[in-house]
Amino acid sequence: MEQLIGEGNGESLQQVYIAVCDAKNDVHFAPIRHHSPACAWAVRQLIREVKPAHVLIEGPIDFNRHIDVLLDAGTLPPVAIASILELATEKQKQQPRLAAYFPFCSHSPELVALREGKRVGANLAFIDTPSMDKALSRNNENDQEQNRPISLQDDAVFNSNDYVAALAKEQGCRDGYELWDHLFETQLGTKDWRKFLSEVGAYCAGLRSMTPNAEILSQGDRDREHHMAAQIAKAQKKGGPIVVVAGGFHVPALIELLGNPDLIKLPALEKGLGQSYMIRYGFKALDALNGYASGLPQPAYYDYLWQRAVEAQGQPQWRDTATDLVSKFCTQMREDGNPINLPSQVEMLRSAESLALLRNRPGILRHDLIDGAKVSLVKGEASRRDVWSERLLKFLCGSKLGDVPASAGLPPLVEDARRRASSHRIDLSDGTRRTRKLDIRRKEPHLKASQYFHAMGLLDTSFASRSAGPDYLNNVRTDLLFEEWSFSWSPQVEGKLVELAIYGDQLDLACIAYIDHQRQRLQKDGLAHDLEALCDLLGRGLLAGLGRRLSPFLGDIESDIQSNNQFPVIVKALRRLHFIQSSAGPLSAPASLGLQSSLTAAYNRLIYLCDDICHSPPEVVEDQIEALRLISELLRNDESKFYDADLFNDAIDRIAEATPQPEILGSVLAICLQSGRRSITELESALNGNFTGSILNLEERIGVLRGVLHTTPLLLLNQPKLLKVIDSFMQQIDDESFIELLPHLRLAFTALNPRETDHLGEILARQYGSIASDFTATTSDYTQSDLERGLLIEKRLRQTLSVDQLQDWLAPETSV
Amino acid sequence: MDVTSSQRLPAETRYSRELKTLKANDNHPKPQGWTLSPRSVRSFILGDHELGVAQKFFGDDPLVDRCIVSLMGHQGLMLVGEPGTAKSLLSELLSAAISGTSGLVVQGSAGIIEDHLRYGWNYAMLLADGPSEEALVPSPILSAMRGGKVARVEELTRCAPEVQDAMISLMSEKTIVIPELGPEVESRALTGFNIIATANLRDRGVHDMSSALKRRFNFETVHPIADVSFERELVAKQLEERMAEHDIKPDMGQDTLELLVDVFRDLRTGNTSEGASVSIPNSVMSTAEAVNVAYAATLDAAYLDDKPLSASHVARQLSGVVFKDDPEDARKLRAYVEHIAKPRAKKSKAWSLFYKAAKTEFDKR
Repeated sequence: MEQLIGEGNGESLQQVYIAVCDAKNDVHFAPIRHHSPACAWAVRQLIREVKPAHVLIEGPIDFNRHIDVLLDAGTLPPVAIASILELATEKQKQQPRLAAYFPFCSHSPELVALREGKRVGANLAFIDTPSMDKALSRNNENDQEQNRPISLQDDAVFNSNDYVAALAKEQGCRDGYELWDHLFETQLGTKDWRKFLSEVGAYCAGLRSMTPNAEILSQGDRDREHHMAAQIAKAQKKGGPIVVVAGGFHVPALIELLGNPDLIKLPALEKGLGQSYMIRYGFKALDALNGYASGLPQPAYYDYLWQRAVEAQGQPQWRDTATDLVSKFCTQMREDGNPINLPSQVEMLRSAESLALLRNRPGILRHDLIDGAKVSLVKGEASRRDVWSERLLKFLCGSKLGDVPASAGLPPLVEDARRRASSHRIDLSDGTRRTRKLDIRRKEPHLKASQYFHAMGLLDTSFASRSAGPDYLNNVRTDLLFEEWSFSWSPQVEGKLVELAIYGDQLDLACIAYIDHQRQRLQKDGLAHDLEALCDLLGRGLLAGLGRRLSPFLGDIESDIQSNNQFPVIVKALRRLHFIQSSAGPLSAPASLGLQSSLTAAYNRLIYLCDDICHSPPEVVEDQIEALRLISELLRNDESKFYDADLFNDAIDRIAEATPQPEILGSVLAICLQSGRRSITELESALNGNFTGSILNLEERIGVLRGVLHTTPLLLLNQPKLLKVIDSFMQQIDDESFIELLPHLRLAFTALNPRETDHLGEILARQYGSIASDFTATTSDYTQSDLERGLLIEKRLRQTLSVDQLQDWLAPETSV
Repeated sequence: MDVTSSQRLPAETRYSRELKTLKANDNHPKPQGWTLSPRSVRSFILGDHELGVAQKFFGDDPLVDRCIVSLMGHQGLMLVGEPGTAKSLLSELLSAAISGTSGLVVQGSAGIIEDHLRYGWNYAMLLADGPSEEALVPSPILSAMRGGKVARVEELTRCAPEVQDAMISLMSEKTIVIPELGPEVESRALTGFNIIATANLRDRGVHDMSSALKRRFNFETVHPIADVSFERELVAKQLEERMAEHDIKPDMGQDTLELLVDVFRDLRTGNTSEGASVSIPNSVMSTAEAVNVAYAATLDAAYLDDKPLSASHVARQLSGVVFKDDPEDARKLRAYVEHIAKPRAKKSKAWSLFYKAAKTEFDKR
């Protein structure tokens, strides 16, 4: 107890300590931290010993109807109650719908309290304000912006409080998480639950004493505490004993209110409908949710501690627990292809144990394990989040998925998909395949329906397919006004949605999470550089009507752009983003999405990479000049001057100054000539230099020409001087060289379209005082007698071959 | 020698009072050969308010824990990280607290040979009397083995690969054989012996460590300071110390100091406070380098420019001091100036000076 007092208000801590210990009026308070196995253990012991008539739990009162399902044998944690909130007032209706989660795992004190309460036949109830109120007070705008899930369990104060910071420093812990483990998880399995709970109570009183009143009020905590106190008082009238399992932060207030029952005022509650569903949950989702405020991270670790405590019927064997965890981790790593040798494994355990000893702990805790891995596994310089710690954290997070019995009903995502379908007048009454024609350009409801189909397509539900209409992603027939969809609702579609329920409770949230998941998959497959695929996903998201909600994803694309080193890839991505930015209609992006800043970022990155172009290896030259062509085209068409063309021109200038590959020099000089930065003379001399140089390989001598033709083919028609240079080169070379060069020249000149080629031909012909048709080859040079002679030769040849027994030569496909 | 007049005293002398206090109050279990218990070593480095022991290493407490625990085992401790992150200071403090001396040190360089790690001879005595214990000149490592103390090897990666190789057997067998003194004569390390090495893995002119050597060390990366205000404070303080030898009062305005630290942090982390990404240069962007730039800028302003120190001096020195020999880095700095400094220049005078001066520097090239 003394170590808890620190710099906090000693008196209030003592009071809470005594009150929790004494359990006045047979009300036993169990102050807890969410998902803490040590708290769960103490709650278990408390209920087993006290055998209460009521077990009251801090949790939305409207969740009472889920208690039976929660206690069903078919419910395997982790599960969560997802609460979907439909707001009643006009103003609130305009806000996005809220979804909030209340997760349970095997080691959650709340679930343990329910299970133990049922065992002793207690009356079980949640006593907090309805989920709607709780979520509204917890919800901050930032979460909405980020599409983050809202947690109905808030423990942020455990990590960001002044009391915690001071005590952590004093105890030599780095943060609130380590401090919590150090003080309390070390007591997992303790027999003296009374002392444990009183200490948690005192600790939380310390937290509360350093929390400004204004903060408590603004978070709606006061109202909730009155609500809970009223419920406890109600239960008191029915007779005790009563066990109250509540977040430690509220316990001091509850004790105070129950001491003066006259002060309890039932708060006015929000008017609105809250619908809640029980869904299967996963450790990954739980870890992510905890990351935003509540509970303890890395659930698999705490779950394991809990299991060991249950097996040992008391304190877990710390050493064995850590040894098992380390060897499980090593096995996992071996399976993942990152084996850890035995000496390192031993060193990891040794250092973790020494750290625990140095830090004055009875056993190895989470932070000791992580530090142990850092000590023993990291070889070489590491960033702050080194790869081994990340692997260990991932392992400690786990990937367990829970299960809910059929009686829990369908997950909200399925309901949401059905609800939206009916609001778009899409008939799902049976599994029949139907078609629907949508006038997406002129009718807003039709556009919405199209977005719904696109969203279902994005999620790979195989619900609908587009049989006709514009293809915006590939820029094909975007002039079409109608889309035609064929769709059918099948058990497979529903199954897929059930599977996706973990991504969110609403179609759009699920889409966002799914897109993010896809990006991670690309990364995992080593395709993080595939910016085109990412831009494609962005486009699909826009077609699905996700609009502004895509901005975090766009942010990810932006950071991928920043880390990409390939000029052509960036140019293509920029073009794609530019296309989205400039398109109107279904693909258009809302201004608030922030596409402009991504465009700027991509453009800046591209400028930065320009200097690399000088050092391109031969195999990428073609990609580079194509990219140069694309970007100069884009800048030429940029009438709004959105891009700072000077930056590009400066960069191009620098390339021209260096000594790039001839193709690149050609295309760069051509661009400079077009923008008026450089004169025709420079291009002329570059061409001349290339033509007349001492390069042995003839093909390479037309490099500059190739570059010019690829980037700006029309320059040849507009600049007679250029044509002259080329023409004189042609005259210089002998026939043999010309024949050798011909295929390469033909290929280079394909940059001109047939009409332009004809035009060029005319210009050239005019220079030589004739007309183009004079040079056009005619195909009627052969006479009938030529043909007859040819046939005769062929006949003789065949005969000769057959005399020599070589007739197989004539039918090579039949020979072996 | 008069010890008080030397430029820098060893840690055990500088903090002898604190070490004595800690020893007197130390009632925790001690590993064999250690003068202080691990907990007191921790208190010595991270401070103990009650005993009046000051904190000496900032920014990463768990790192210190890990270092102490590493030294309790069989592995050596390798401190890596950018220059200027106080690796050597940490190694000095650890050895002073654990063994009572930080003086058993091999100063790694390209000129180090195996003898510097094992033993050498007093050749006069060797020639006169032949090999004997008296003629033997033990290396710091041999002395540490014999005394059960912690030896330090600074800049291990600057030693040639064959010298690094010699470390491998020293570390795994913890013994040095001296065949010249007779068959089976060897010095086995007493308990308490261990090695703290520091290394720079990124600088030029360093040799890669073999994986066999890596296996014998536990690595700890010492990171630059994460807290921006603390870094500013440190830069200002160190600049003042450096300027003490000149007759110039360092007069770095708050905005220039902030700009300098921001530039270094942006380029070091690859992220600006606005959330924009920045290409990280190969040059070292440590706090120590920031002090160098501040120092050079102050001298430039005072001796050459005869003007008050401003952000334009910082810009000039930045391209001179930091980005001196890598064209790739110059490119990255240009991108930084064009995309990050330019927009900032519209809002702040310091940034505007910085931008203009940097731009002029580029145009000169």
